[in-house]
Amino acid sequence: MGLLRKIRTTGRVAEPAPPRPEGQVQPSARQLGGSVQVRCVDAGSCNGCEIEIAAAFNPVYDAERYGARQVASPRHADVALVTGPVTRNMAAPLRRTVAAMGEPRLVVAVGDCAINCGEFAGGYGVEGAVADVVPVDLAVPGCPPEPEAIVAALRRVTGR
Amino acid sequence: MSAIPAALATATALAATGALAGLGLPYRLRVAVVGVLTAGVGVAGGTAGVAALGGSRWRAVYSGLVPLAGAHVAVDALAGLFMAVAGAVLAAVAVYGIGYATGHGAHGLGSRTAQAVLPVFALSLVLVPVAAAVSTFLLLWELMALTSLFLVLAEHRGGHLPLGRSRERGSPSVRQAGTWYAVMTHLGLVLLLAGFALFAAQAGGETFATLRAGAHGIPPTVRGLVFVLVALAFTSKAGAVPLHAWLPRAHPEAPSPVSALMSAAMVNLGIYGLVRTGLDLLGGGPAWWWLGLLAMGGASAVYGILQAAMASDLKRLLAYSTSENMGLVLTGVGASGLFAAHGDKPLAALALAAALLHVVNHAAFKALLFCAAGSVLRATGLRDLDRLGGLRARMPVTAALFALAALGAVALPPGNGFISEWLLLQSLVHGLAVPGVAVAVVLPLSVALIALSTGIAAAVFVKALGVGFFARPRDERAAAAREAPPLMLAGMTLLAAGVVALALVPGLLGHGLDRAVGAVGLPGSGALTWGGLGVRLTDISARLEPLWVVAALTAAIVLATGLPRLYGRRRRRVNARLWDCGGGAPTPRMTYTATSFAEPLQRVFDDVLAPEQDVDVTPVRESAYLVERVRFQHRVPDRIEHRLYEPVLRALASTGRAARRLAGGSVHLYLGYGFAGLVVLLLALVVGW
Ligand code: SF4
Repeated sequence: MGLLRKIRTTGRVAEPAPPRPEGQVQPSARQLGGSVQVRCVDAGSCNGCEIEIAAAFNPVYDAERYGARQVASPRHADVALVTGPVTRNMAAPLRRTVAAMGEPRLVVAVGDCAINCGEFAGGYGVEGAVADVVPVDLAVPGCPPEPEAIVAALRRVTGR
Repeated sequence: MSAIPAALATATALAATGALAGLGLPYRLRVAVVGVLTAGVGVAGGTAGVAALGGSRWRAVYSGLVPLAGAHVAVDALAGLFMAVAGAVLAAVAVYGIGYATGHGAHGLGSRTAQAVLPVFALSLVLVPVAAAVSTFLLLWELMALTSLFLVLAEHRGGHLPLGRSRERGSPSVRQAGTWYAVMTHLGLVLLLAGFALFAAQAGGETFATLRAGAHGIPPTVRGLVFVLVALAFTSKAGAVPLHAWLPRAHPEAPSPVSALMSAAMVNLGIYGLVRTGLDLLGGGPAWWWLGLLAMGGASAVYGILQAAMASDLKRLLAYSTSENMGLVLTGVGASGLFAAHGDKPLAALALAAALLHVVNHAAFKALLFCAAGSVLRATGLRDLDRLGGLRARMPVTAALFALAALGAVALPPGNGFISEWLLLQSLVHGLAVPGVAVAVVLPLSVALIALSTGIAAAVFVKALGVGFFARPRDERAAAAREAPPLMLAGMTLLAAGVVALALVPGLLGHGLDRAVGAVGLPGSGALTWGGLGVRLTDISARLEPLWVVAALTAAIVLATGLPRLYGRRRRRVNARLWDCGGGAPTPRMTYTATSFAEPLQRVFDDVLAPEQDVDVTPVRESAYLVERVRFQHRVPDRIEHRLYEPVLRALASTGRAARRLAGGSVHLYLGYGFAGLVVLLLALVVGW
């Protein structure tokens, strides 16, 4: 009963959908037909980006209404959402993760660290940016990027 | 003059020659000669059995053979069925045994004693059903027990190791198994002696004919006592809960051909004894006898298969599965007696036919399973499923044969076990028409227990096959396995042919089974018609055509595998690396083991199984929070054994200790005992007279 009451009293918390982000839908993403399975890979982030990704999929920003959905294995995924500078220990697993995904596949680099090593550039354990390890299709700048930005990037993949 | 006496004489002569050959011949010749002669015993005994199933009967008295009473022998269709089963299993397993014992040195099964005893054991398996008097029966029964005890102990100096490995020193588990087996089988003998002595004294003679004639004049309480004593002994031999404790010890420790013989031929004789005494000699009895049997059968079926599900020792798993199957057979026998007690003869015949058919089916697939387990053991020296794996590629024929037998054991179509369990369920379900509160409660319960045990059996054999033969080897000994020698494969192929025949055309057994059921005074052909290939129940509108089931299944499998291939060929295929979570390649230690497979089941049946768990964490010296070593121990003890046997054993041991105080070693004390005893005796005589 408590659950039902909660549902009734809470109502709808999702923000009104912002307009479709400008920019072309990724050409390789067109085959996905608006339904995109997302696998997150933490390649060495400070966890700030993870919190924002979690926010992007929560009921307020609700990335799922645009057709993006998180999955638990790269075997099920179309998109790898990679955060953080790639540390030495995560370089090989990242390569293997991307290789394990079916075609067509996309890699989205989330956060400044993923784009150019950000705060951690030159660190002894850092192998490089995500683009140095796997080919990157889309980048979401910010330290950390706002959930809206992450949702907007995903909408450019789903096209919705 | 029928073929039976000639065949039995041949079997006896072959067995005698075999025993002498085992004693006299040098190792190189011994195994082959004894193996061939033992197979001959099997063929001759099987021939006699088939002749009896075909309708011929035989009886004789050899007054000189057994002192005082003389040896009484008789063969009817019921005895014939068990002889035929034992003979067929013997013939195939003996061929297998030649391959098994060759090339492994003159120890274990190849030793002089073992080879001399093997043909005698074979003969006793064939001859026990022939006995037609109490003394003859008990003599043969004890011969079977003793010879099998010798064979169980054959590998007491360390188990079978793969070629080129040094032998370990003596194996305590074999000796322990031998002790348990010796004690329990002789307790059984004591019960049999007491029961039959009582029966014979009341009936006024010890031949089966006299017993049969005199049974109805015996007061009901005495009849009940006889039945209870005899049933306890026979169910213990059949490995039914709670008197099963010897079985999961002795069957795994015996050399594999002996395990096969014990599990496929010897335990059956417990069922034979029960049917012969309960339904034939005593001529049936009140409902409570059979309700007791039903309870025992249901308990054995579920408890046996649960323990099998927990076992990670391959042969122990098979041994517990024997307990389960004998439980199913006991359910059938119990139901048959119950229906007969309520006067529903056709239904009783159906239940008994189902039970007997299950005996035959079980013998076929269990012998094959034990032989396949034996060839795994011989090739790897391992019985532990957690260390096996990857044998499908290394021992393809053995793996295929094991799979075939496992299909029979899971009682799903198209396996042979399915047909007998289907018949059993039919008889139980239709038995609800029989009046009585107990029947109304017990029969649905039995149906549920059978269904439960069948479901768990599927998990058990998926585990045995999947963990043992598929995936990757978890031990270098399993990785180095090689296929068994051709003679072992030949023996197993013979058994496999039996399994397939029973699965496809059980109708061939039809008339023989009818006669066997008829031998205990039930209307044989009343309930079943075996029209050509199928089974049809006349009273109940139900029929089963196994051949069609197999054809439909094969077609479905071909369609299900073929169509996607045809369709999928148009797509591009990419070979990808096995997903390993991004880490290194998975090692064999990460694969599913038998223990992990059984874990969910163990959780579900936690209250029944009461597993014991022991976690031992050792921290490093500097800090209590840093762990240096974790030791995890996990055991699923046989709970019935734990609760039932250990208190008895403890009580015995403490009585023994207390009694030791009486024998202090002083001669004066002993003389005093003698004197006191004499005085007490004299006093008793004075007062008594
Ligand atoms: S971009 Fe900022 S929040 Fe994201 S991982 Fe790097 S430092 Fe952390």
